[in-house]
Amino acid sequence: MGFKLDYLLSILPRLIAAAAVNIRLAIVIMLLALVLGTALTIVRAQKIASVNALIAVIISFVRGTPLLIQIFIAYYVLPAVGLDLSPEVAGISAIAFNSMVFVSESMRGGLATIEAGQIEASTALGLPPHAIWLKVVLPQLFRRIVPVLINEATIVVKGTALLSVITVVDVLRTAQQMASASYRPFETMIGSALVFLVINLVISLSGRVAEARFAAARV
Amino acid sequence: MHFDPAVLVDYWPLLLQGAWLTLQVSAAAFVMGYVVGIAIALIALVPGWVPRLVTGLYVETLRNIPFIIILFVVYYGLPFSGIRLPAVLVGTAALALFASAYYAEIVRAAILALPRGQFESARAIGMSPMSAMRHVVAPQILRTLVPPSTNMTLTMMKESAVLSSITVPELTYQSLVVQGNTFAPFEVFAAVASIYWLIAVVIAEASRRLERRVGTAQAGASGRNRIADRYLSLVARRT
Repeated sequence: MGFKLDYLLSILPRLIAAAAVNIRLAIVIMLLALVLGTALTIVRAQKIASVNALIAVIISFVRGTPLLIQIFIAYYVLPAVGLDLSPEVAGISAIAFNSMVFVSESMRGGLATIEAGQIEASTALGLPPHAIWLKVVLPQLFRRIVPVLINEATIVVKGTALLSVITVVDVLRTAQQMASASYRPFETMIGSALVFLVINLVISLSGRVAEARFAAARV
Repeated sequence: MHFDPAVLVDYWPLLLQGAWLTLQVSAAAFVMGYVVGIAIALIALVPGWVPRLVTGLYVETLRNIPFIIILFVVYYGLPFSGIRLPAVLVGTAALALFASAYYAEIVRAAILALPRGQFESARAIGMSPMSAMRHVVAPQILRTLVPPSTNMTLTMMKESAVLSSITVPELTYQSLVVQGNTFAPFEVFAAVASIYWLIAVVIAEASRRLERRVGTAQAGASGRNRIADRYLSLVARRT
């Protein structure tokens, strides 16, 4: 039983079609993670002791447990408390929640690189807090964490492959379905590996272009 | 809905067995992954474009493919080449393969961050390349290695949950077994998540102590003023 290249080539179109699912999910997750992560960062910056203590526990939990377990919690536990989510929505919630924490943590690092003088100047000019956030801090913060966000996007894309475990028909699950019909799991897995490789290389490369443009815009 | 830990009473041994296997698999993958990672990093530093290209392909391929797919490729690929191994060994090997790509980058970056003169001076006073690496370079890069290596090892330990999909009876696999027997998802996943959390916290704390010993730890407080801290810091100022 040798490696059949023509079989691999014949399944690529279906795997690429299935990749649309992973890409769509990853985009939704990244948008949610960005919005929620920004909100979380602003809440943390208020430095309300009890709130920050609670957030610290949540962050430690998310960083200390496997994404797969978090997906299982969203898929098996949320219905038990009355939230009956479709596999897709459960998966999106779990990965977005996970990614939100990582976005907020990278923002924490980014905030430390913004010059104190800008906040002093904005405060001296009498800008209200929402304006300081929206016009001074956040625009610079987003630019600074572009590399981290690009990296996070590739992690999210890889995370969507785990959703096959909770029956989302993505690239991996499509590959497994084809393998059970053809008994050629090795070729189908190589095929899905290639699909993910291409998606993530495209993200990394376009990220590098975006970074260069942002770097140029800063000057 | 209420939380009833009693449903788990009969299943604690199973979960603890799973946790023990998770620890063993992670430890083995750490050692194997680090050895391969160091080798890849050293090859990457050999002058010329060929070693850099080959190691670059190795690292980028493994870093851009989801671990679950790397695992399946290894799982189906080994029998394909006539090698039949128990699932737990296949899983450990795949985990080590995955982690080695990240460890390689960590080691390479740490070596590159060290001034070139260190190695060259060691060579100039007559040390062999091996002993220059061992006695001059290695002790100095140790401190740069600890924080990112800990991070990666934690990531790898968490990724080991994916081995459940090739029936390795580690913690996540056992949690699905117990979930199937008890239909008590809340209790099961709360318990299992707590075990992972505990392992992660212990590893992180151990690394913090190691950092203190090798001298990586740095003062966290910035020299900013109160007004800027209102926006740029997420930690309340100690007065």
